[in-house]
Amino acid sequence: MVFYGSRKLQNFDAALIAYLFGTVFALFGIIYRYCVWLQRPPTWMYFKRGWQLLFSKSFLEYAGLSVQKLVRNIAFQRFIYPRGKTRWWGHFLLATGCLMAFSVTIPLTLGWIHFTMNPATSINPADTNYYEAHLFGFKVMEFKLGSWIAFFIFHILNWCSWLVIIGCLLFMRRRLTHAGQIATQTFEGDWLPLILLIGISVTGLGLTYDYEFLKGMTYEFMAVTHAVTVILFLIWIPFGKFFHIIQRPAQIGAHLYKKEGEKRGMAICPHTHKPFTTQMHVDDLKTVTKELGFDFTLEDGSSHLDLSPEGKRSALAKAHLKAREASGKFFG
Amino acid sequence: MARLPVTAEKIIEQFGPHLNFAPQEGYIGRDEPDKVVETHCCFCGMQCGIKLLVKNNKVVGFDPWMEFPFNEGRLCPKGVQRYLQNNHPDRLLEPLQRVEDVGFKPLGWEEAMSKTVAEIKRIQQTYGNDAFAMLSGVSITNEKSYLVGKFARVALKTRNLDYNGRLCMVSAGAGNKKAFGLDRGSNNYEDLKKAEVIMVCGANVSETFPTLTYWIWQARDNGAKLIVVDPRVIPLARTADLHLDIRPGTDSALYGAMLRYMAERDMLDHDFINNHTTGFQQTLDAVKDYSLEWAEQVTGIAKEKIATAAEWWGKAATSFLLHARGIEHHSKGVDNVLGCINLVLATGRIGKPYCGYATITGQGNGQGGREHGHKCDQLPGNRDINNPEHRKYIAGVWGIDETEMPGAGYTAYELIEAIHRGEVKGLISLCFNPLVSLPNNNYVREAFEKLEFYATIDFFLNETARHANIIFPGSLHEEEEGTVTTAEGRVTRIRQAVTPPGQARTDTAIILELAERLGAGNKFSYNSSEDIFNELRVASKGGTADYYGITYEKIEKNMGVFWPCPSIDHPGTPRLWEDRKFATADGKAHFNPVPYKDPGEVTDDEYPVVLTTGRVVSQYLSGTQTRRIGKLVNQYPEPLLEIHPELAAKYGISQRELVKVITRRGEAEFPANIVETIRKDTVFIPYHWPGRKSANQLTPGTLDPISKIPEFKVCACQLVPLRKEAQSPQEAHAYDSV
Amino acid sequence: MTTSYYKTDMEFFVDMQRCIGCKACEAACAECETNGQQSMIHVNYVERAVTIQTTVQVCMHCEDPVCANVCPADAISKDEFGVVHTANTARCIGCSNCVMACPFGVPIKEEKYDMMMKCNMCYDRTSAGKKPMCATVCPSQALYYGTREEMRRMRPNSVPVNTFQFGKLEVKTKVNIMMPAGSTMLKID
Repeated sequence: MVFYGSRKLQNFDAALIAYLFGTVFALFGIIYRYCVWLQRPPTWMYFKRGWQLLFSKSFLEYAGLSVQKLVRNIAFQRFIYPRGKTRWWGHFLLATGCLMAFSVTIPLTLGWIHFTMNPATSINPADTNYYEAHLFGFKVMEFKLGSWIAFFIFHILNWCSWLVIIGCLLFMRRRLTHAGQIATQTFEGDWLPLILLIGISVTGLGLTYDYEFLKGMTYEFMAVTHAVTVILFLIWIPFGKFFHIIQRPAQIGAHLYKKEGEKRGMAICPHTHKPFTTQMHVDDLKTVTKELGFDFTLEDGSSHLDLSPEGKRSALAKAHLKAREASGKFFG
Repeated sequence: MARLPVTAEKIIEQFGPHLNFAPQEGYIGRDEPDKVVETHCCFCGMQCGIKLLVKNNKVVGFDPWMEFPFNEGRLCPKGVQRYLQNNHPDRLLEPLQRVEDVGFKPLGWEEAMSKTVAEIKRIQQTYGNDAFAMLSGVSITNEKSYLVGKFARVALKTRNLDYNGRLCMVSAGAGNKKAFGLDRGSNNYEDLKKAEVIMVCGANVSETFPTLTYWIWQARDNGAKLIVVDPRVIPLARTADLHLDIRPGTDSALYGAMLRYMAERDMLDHDFINNHTTGFQQTLDAVKDYSLEWAEQVTGIAKEKIATAAEWWGKAATSFLLHARGIEHHSKGVDNVLGCINLVLATGRIGKPYCGYATITGQGNGQGGREHGHKCDQLPGNRDINNPEHRKYIAGVWGIDETEMPGAGYTAYELIEAIHRGEVKGLISLCFNPLVSLPNNNYVREAFEKLEFYATIDFFLNETARHANIIFPGSLHEEEEGTVTTAEGRVTRIRQAVTPPGQARTDTAIILELAERLGAGNKFSYNSSEDIFNELRVASKGGTADYYGITYEKIEKNMGVFWPCPSIDHPGTPRLWEDRKFATADGKAHFNPVPYKDPGEVTDDEYPVVLTTGRVVSQYLSGTQTRRIGKLVNQYPEPLLEIHPELAAKYGISQRELVKVITRRGEAEFPANIVETIRKDTVFIPYHWPGRKSANQLTPGTLDPISKIPEFKVCACQLVPLRKEAQSPQEAHAYDSV
Repeated sequence: MTTSYYKTDMEFFVDMQRCIGCKACEAACAECETNGQQSMIHVNYVERAVTIQTTVQVCMHCEDPVCANVCPADAISKDEFGVVHTANTARCIGCSNCVMACPFGVPIKEEKYDMMMKCNMCYDRTSAGKKPMCATVCPSQALYYGTREEMRRMRPNSVPVNTFQFGKLEVKTKVNIMMPAGSTMLKID
């Protein structure tokens, strides 16, 4: 892919080789981790069901739903909004910054994108220089050097960095002031990712700053730190907090699953006599729990999982009441 | 002309009730408060200790106060949510006046004061001093209760002052005075711990005094048997050793039959009866015909159960009897109380460790608020306003001539009747919402519409305040220093956590300025709540409720002091009567004969079902505060008609069907809640809601002849199923219904 | 980051027959800093038409939590003190597997967050050596947090039980339920 995407490496930027190794390592890590993850019975159940449903006779409906959820939940992370306004802003800025940066850096690293000076314009110094962007070696656009588009494109990673930094700072403030967060957070799970992202962004910005204002005085330091943080980040994706970026689309599967289940019929709790989830969900859970070594089959052949959460709580309370009554005493 | 200036809906739009919810992640600064104030819950008579978290002069949360001995951090849902009454959008921030067709408009303090004083003077000059009355409440501190008593007599110079304790436990107070000569629970709750038998009569402890449950459960862990007397299977009754499912209005028959049973089998403490009591024989004679069979027929309780209760009670070595509104809210409330006391005295189990008796006072300061001259016939220290010596002593403390001291006035409900008759023309009230809390409240509303002038002091514009001409924005519980006396008789400290917001002032400041403007300023010169308390101490000195030896410092140091406490070096009295010297004139405890009487209204063919009323755990009294706290409202959003499935089947009523309940006073519609946990001949409706959702549209104004408490707990009704399902609780909007 | 003062000798004890259904715990739970104004504890009538019985349910913090096992997103974890934590917000995909599989009916799917939330034993308080909010305020002490020794002294005729039998399945938990003396497990069928 790298080889052909970069037209047999002729468009490959050798300066980015370290990043390439990081990316490749991350890719293998992610694939490995994804496979391990998928092998877990509950995950496999959702994975299987998700694709089954998507490519079922309701394909159009579910594809539409998936796109809608993709925009709403993945691109805009709307489900975070009700959890807190700042929380959403923080996450949205951070996520947008990261995703945009990925979409630039990965192809760049892999040599899928490269920029060249338009040879026709570069010969004559009096002409305005044109720059061309190539994707997989094909020219996709051309823009004037020094134009606002050029400014925007050449600095896109800087814009991303600012978004990420603002997002991270919003999160850090929450983590420093919110008592609930303080009680439950961990360094490697919650702080390290933020520090890493800030590290990447700051050193990235530092590169530009250095290049524009310091004439390269700190270039080495910035470049090395940037590379180290980025590579750490890449390698860590499969094993740390950032794996959720890969996992998140499963949320769409859960939505499809629920939708289809509702069509097929709800499970009615024998205790409350009310619907509480889909019958498909209950049936699948019976299978999954059994595979995991939890067998909820009761003596009468029914399953504890046939009860709604309220029904389960009541069943426990009734069993406890029975035991207390049998002992003749409620207290003591 | 105290009609509503505009529609109630319009008033509600501006002044609520609106529901207050904490922000999603709590108020900002909750985890780093400016100060943490150790005070008490503003609700029931338990007065649980609680810490309030204060940020920028606002209460932003609470923390359990683990060290306070009664509750050690335990709280009920009202206590947990109490902090949300502060920082509330409905809070009154400036004086208001009624403007016809416009509503309520702000006016300055100066104008509000001068208008009110002018009206007081006009009414008193035209119709006489007693034509201007005052009604107060006992969710306020001892200092304020005392101040109100003095203000009415010295500044307003009216005999017509009464308070909402009249709807609370006055029957218990009267019964206690008759039997013991003193009005206070005889024991603190420590004595519950190792009582062998605990009898709880007409007290829905787990909903109305939830934190008291712990003490009862503790006793049961130690082996206590629990007897619960209640027409419903209340949470306390579900696991009780014996539940006596009594027909409302027949309580005294049960106690009479138990006494007779115990006497016949000689389960009595003759030494105690002979040496320390009077009137036993007459009391026994009064119940000589009250066989178990008779009692079963009257009360509806199986005779075997009555016998078991009498056996347990009779044979116990230690015991504790608790009662509350369930037996007190009757036209024979005092009889019911005396019936209970007779059982206690007959077994001599009082004034000893783990031998107790107490009424569970309902309101926040139901105990202290009824001791220091807040009642129409009372002077501080629980003195008698008709007793020449008492009058002389208090006149001396107050610096007035004894002849200037008014006599006894009307009780709360009698005052409403006097307004109807035109005897009383003007009223000022504080901390009272009679349009929700008094019985037959259509009649009460008509009375308020007849008033020529009505002023009120409150922190929210409650249903009654909508009829006011002038509204003074007063103070919340956490906005003023003071003391309250808990149901145990423990005097505790209420601390000011924040100052009143906006232009609001403390209740005390408002009353003091009114006194000043009424020309009595020289009798009301206090610099602090503590000054008032110190005068109260002197005023109560030598009375039965003697606070003389209690100081702020002493309360703070000991986390409360039990009265009587006659001298500075006195430790206080957690348990009364250890010396067997009762506070009656002859020093003995008095048995009182209790011949059985029917309730004021009995069922007949036209009104065949018994209606009883009560409370739910998430609401407090008339709901002025709790109907404004979102989660408390959502916990039990609307009053339901509890009805047994057999009775429901008789009328073909289904679950949540709307049922019209009709009594001789009025009618109202409630969704049915069909449950087996109520007697088959009785329906129950909780009373905290206003307007068309008010149970008190139905209840009778029949009063106990002695205590003048209204008979909330029993009347006769018809049920008319409306053959339609009630709307959802959210749609019903019971909390602000009109 | 956080210094842990979690007291390992303190345990959680539940006796739902003492519950009076007042919901003080529910109100107090919402004052816990870890779950915002959402309440994670459950109080419900067992069968209101016939009885006033209520039950109260906190997370039992299973030794081998079913919720964590059925989670497709690895969002639920147990810490070194045996506290099973609420869903990791980054991972939870809101599938409700845990909600429906928990034998005690504990986890809650917050639809508006598209996320599961559950009791974490007031981690903000317990990790600082304090009692959980619910067990602190509970006016009947149906919920108690303290040492085994304190419990033995207060309620000598009951024993803490932490083994539950659901049909063929045995579940062991960190939280105890108080049972008549001599009991070793509670069978639910």
